[in-house]
Amino acid sequence: PWSSPQAFPLPSLPRKQPTVLVVCGPAQNGAIGLVCARHLRIFDYEPTIFYPKRSPDPLYRDFTTQCEKMDIPFLSYLPTEVQLINDAYNAVVDAVLGAEAEAGEGREPCAAILATLKHIRIPIVSLDVPSGWDVEAGSSGGISPDVLVSLSAPKQCARSFLGRQHFVAGRFLPYDVQKKFELNPPEYPGTECVVALRAPR
Amino acid sequence: QEEAQAIDQELFTEYKFSVDQLMELAGLSCATAIAKAYPPSSFTTSQPAVLVVCGPGNNGGDGLVCARHLKLFGYEPTVYYPKCPNKPLFEGLTTQCQKMDIPFLPEFPAEAALIDELYGLVVDAIFGFSFKGAVREPFGSILGTLERVTVPVASIDIPSGWDVEKGKADGLQPDMLISLTAPKKAALHFTGRYHFLGGRFVPPALEKKYALNLPPYPETECVLQLA
Repeated sequence: PWSSPQAFPLPSLPRKQPTVLVVCGPAQNGAIGLVCARHLRIFDYEPTIFYPKRSPDPLYRDFTTQCEKMDIPFLSYLPTEVQLINDAYNAVVDAVLGAEAEAGEGREPCAAILATLKHIRIPIVSLDVPSGWDVEAGSSGGISPDVLVSLSAPKQCARSFLGRQHFVAGRFLPYDVQKKFELNPPEYPGTECVVALRAPR
Repeated sequence: QEEAQAIDQELFTEYKFSVDQLMELAGLSCATAIAKAYPPSSFTTSQPAVLVVCGPGNNGGDGLVCARHLKLFGYEPTVYYPKCPNKPLFEGLTTQCQKMDIPFLPEFPAEAALIDELYGLVVDAIFGFSFKGAVREPFGSILGTLERVTVPVASIDIPSGWDVEKGKADGLQPDMLISLTAPKKAALHFTGRYHFLGGRFVPPALEKKYALNLPPYPETECVLQLA
C-alpha cells in the first residue's frame, strides 16, 4: 500500500479528486488489492474497487467487508469505454493476476478486464506481476504498467518492465528466507517498507 | 476504558478486522515510533540493544510484533515473555521472533543496573488498555525493577501498572508513550518526552462515531508525534 502513494503523491495528481481505480482479481493478488485500497483510503485517496469475482476465502471476504465499511464503492461493471476510466480516475491499481496465475489470464472476467486496461491512458500500478504477463518470460502484447511493485522480491518477468518506477516491498522477509533464496534485497531507507529500484534504462 | 473496549469490539465484529491484522499494524507503529525517537545511531551501548518485556495479553502480542520490526530496522532486540498464552496467535508471533534470531531470556534481569548496562532502551509491552485490578506476579516485581532503570522506557498504549484512566503517580514513568488507535485518558498524566500516536487503521466512520478527533497523520506515515 505504501508504494502507490510514493509513486503518485497526493499533491501531484492531475484530477481534482484523488481518485484511484483498484481492479481486483479472484485470487491472492486481488486480495492484496483490497488491502491496498483500504490503506489508500486511510491515506486520503478516493479508491473505487472493481472486484467482479469474489473469493470465497473467509480472510478475503473480511477484507471485502473492511473496504465496504470504509465506504469504498464497488463498481458493478467495468466500463468498456476506456475514456470513461481515463476521465474518472488518476491511476489504476492492477491487482488482477499475480505470480500464481497460469490459466487465469484466459478466463473471464480477467481477459475482458485486461483487454480494457491495455487501452487506458492513465498510469497503471501493477502489484507483483503485470497481469497477463508470463511470470518468467514477461509481456507479449499485454498491459504496460507505469509502476511495478514487486512483492517479496522481483519476479523474472520484471526484467521486461519498462515503466517509470519499480518498487520492491519485501522488508518483512526473515533473514533466513532471504539467504535461502539468495534474494540479496536492497537496503530499505529508514523505516520504509518499500524501496525504489534503479529505474530501467 | 469502556470506550476503548467498545471501539476494539466494533473493529472486530462490525468491520471484520482480525486481531492479527490490527496487532501487526500496531506493533509496526510502535517500532516506527521508537526508530524516530531513538534511532540506532543514538545508542551508547555497542549495539542498539533493546529489551522488550511482553505481558500475558494483547499488549504482549504488540510487543512481539514490535520486536520483530525493530530487528528489521537494525536494532538488536531481546524479549522477555514469561507468560505466553496457549493460543496460535501468540505462539506464531513467538516463532516469527525466534526465526529472526531474536533471543528470549529465560529469566528477567535481577537488577535495574544490569538492564542499564546491557540495553539502551526498554519496551514496556506488559499491560494495555484492558488492564484492571491488581498486578499479578511476576509482573509486580518486573515493574518494580523497571521503575528503577535509568535507560528510557517506551510504553505501548498504557504505562503498565497505571490505572487506564487515572494514571499512577508513584508508578512507572516512561520516557515514551505510543498511544494506539487514540490516546487513552491515562495519557493526560504522561510526563515523558515522546508521545506518539500509532495504529493508523481507524475507519473514518468509526472515528466520527466516537468523536475521536484524531489529528492528521503526515502523508503515508503510520505514526504521528503528538505535542
